[in-house]
Amino acid sequence: MQIVVDLNRCQAYAQCAFLAPQVFELHGEEALMFTPTVPDDQHEHVRRAAAACPVQAILVGERAGP
Amino acid sequence: MSPETLYQRITDYANRANPYPLYAELRENGVTRQADGSYLVGTYHEIAALLHDPRISSDSRNRADPSTVPMFRRNSQQAFIGLDDPEHDRLRRIAMRPFGPPHSPGRIDALRADITRISDGLIDEFRDKDRIDVVEDFAYPLPVTVICRLLGVPHEDMPQLRAWTNAVIAGVDVTPGKDEESRQRAGQDARAAMGEYMGDLSDKRRENPSDDMLSALVHDSGPDGRLTRAELMATGTLLLIAGHETTVNLITNGALTFLRFPDAYRLLRDKPELMPRAVEELLRYEPPVHLLPQRTPLADVEISDVTVPKGAPLILVLAAGNRDPLRFDDPDHFDPTREDNQHFGFGSGVHNCFGAPLARVEAQIALNALVPRLEDFQLSEDPPPYRRSPILRGPRHLPIERVG
Ligand code: HEM
Ligand code: SF4
Repeated sequence: MQIVVDLNRCQAYAQCAFLAPQVFELHGEEALMFTPTVPDDQHEHVRRAAAACPVQAILVGERAGP
Repeated sequence: MSPETLYQRITDYANRANPYPLYAELRENGVTRQADGSYLVGTYHEIAALLHDPRISSDSRNRADPSTVPMFRRNSQQAFIGLDDPEHDRLRRIAMRPFGPPHSPGRIDALRADITRISDGLIDEFRDKDRIDVVEDFAYPLPVTVICRLLGVPHEDMPQLRAWTNAVIAGVDVTPGKDEESRQRAGQDARAAMGEYMGDLSDKRRENPSDDMLSALVHDSGPDGRLTRAELMATGTLLLIAGHETTVNLITNGALTFLRFPDAYRLLRDKPELMPRAVEELLRYEPPVHLLPQRTPLADVEISDVTVPKGAPLILVLAAGNRDPLRFDDPDHFDPTREDNQHFGFGSGVHNCFGAPLARVEAQIALNALVPRLEDFQLSEDPPPYRRSPILRGPRHLPIERVG
């Protein structure tokens, strides 16, 4: 699973950082950091975070293969 | 009917079960001055602009007429929901440190297992029953247990806290009716008692810390310093009340809505992974907080050609904005797969709900656990009996029964 956060939309509500703390991290008050290639055990967390992002800034792509 | 009586009609208990036609009327009329001097706003874009406008205060000391302010807000230390920046921001930052990222990124995620266990336990207890009250048997005990665990409030104190909370909510009720004075006084007393309780509990945690949020709050000292005892009392009380009354409504509204719309129900039963989206749609379609009665302009403010004077009560009807056809396609349709859904369920702007991530996790887990259980059940009455409050609006009971 790959993710991209559209940082033009992201308003740093940080919902994702609560819901998938292993993947999304807040640095300081505003800056959002994330792991673009999501480890297998975090897929559920990431789906929940993407669904909850108030501005739908998290784009999730499933990629076949290794 | 005259637009000046809209607020009166919205708050009238007779319209609690279905206020939505009144909200449509409100959107049609635009910003309207009410007979009591307050201004009502119910259109999405106007509400959004006001929630992001620094000239709009949450601090009721800015009201020109103090009699429009609930009694408890006139004197005691206010929690950050009733303060403006920079004070609001300082207190919210301090409270956020032990709650979420960047300082405590794992706190909510770590509660998932607990929430699942509590929720499964409650469901087990009514496994064999043919009649269930979704509120008393499920939607109420879950969030209360969770917020108490988060804050470190002992389980045996919960009945006392429930009694205080009920009095506090009744005290801010704006439903027209009798005994307003005595209700407000009882609400203020309950709030004071709850504040003392939180103050004492914080003192205990200062001596004997455990792994809860209150212990972290009293021991933590970040760049913004520590909360004073009065601030701790106000913050603790806010978290306790805000942390459960609303979540009860969200879970109950979920059960009610799924039972009303069998197609949506089947979709969610077959695809539990859709629940996070469905919860967002519930927050739009049947939000637990219908209106924010506490805003005040700090200067004369123009809202779509109407001037709202400095100091006037400004009431933002979030639930009306959530169904604004200028913002949402087919707004009166409950669509659990809706994509474009930037609702006002948790407000917006600097006061947007502090506990939203927790509320989301609770509602997602609770409703996913409940859905399979609803299979053979139907609503015993529709609409169900509602609680009094037009602000925190939701069913008081949700009786359901096994079919056949
Ligand atoms: C479904 C559940 C919930 C709903 C619908 C909800 C809704 C809201 C709304 C609409 C506001 C904005 C108030 C305003 O702008 O004046 C708010 C603020 C707040 N909520 Fe929630 N809430 C929920 C759950 C929670 C939980 C679980 C907590 C605590 C853990 C919480 C704590 C707060 C606090 C502290 C504020 C004040 C934020 C501020 O002023 O900066 N809420 N909530
Ligand atoms: S939840 Fe959405 S808006 Fe918030 S920080 Fe994450 S990506 Fe940005």
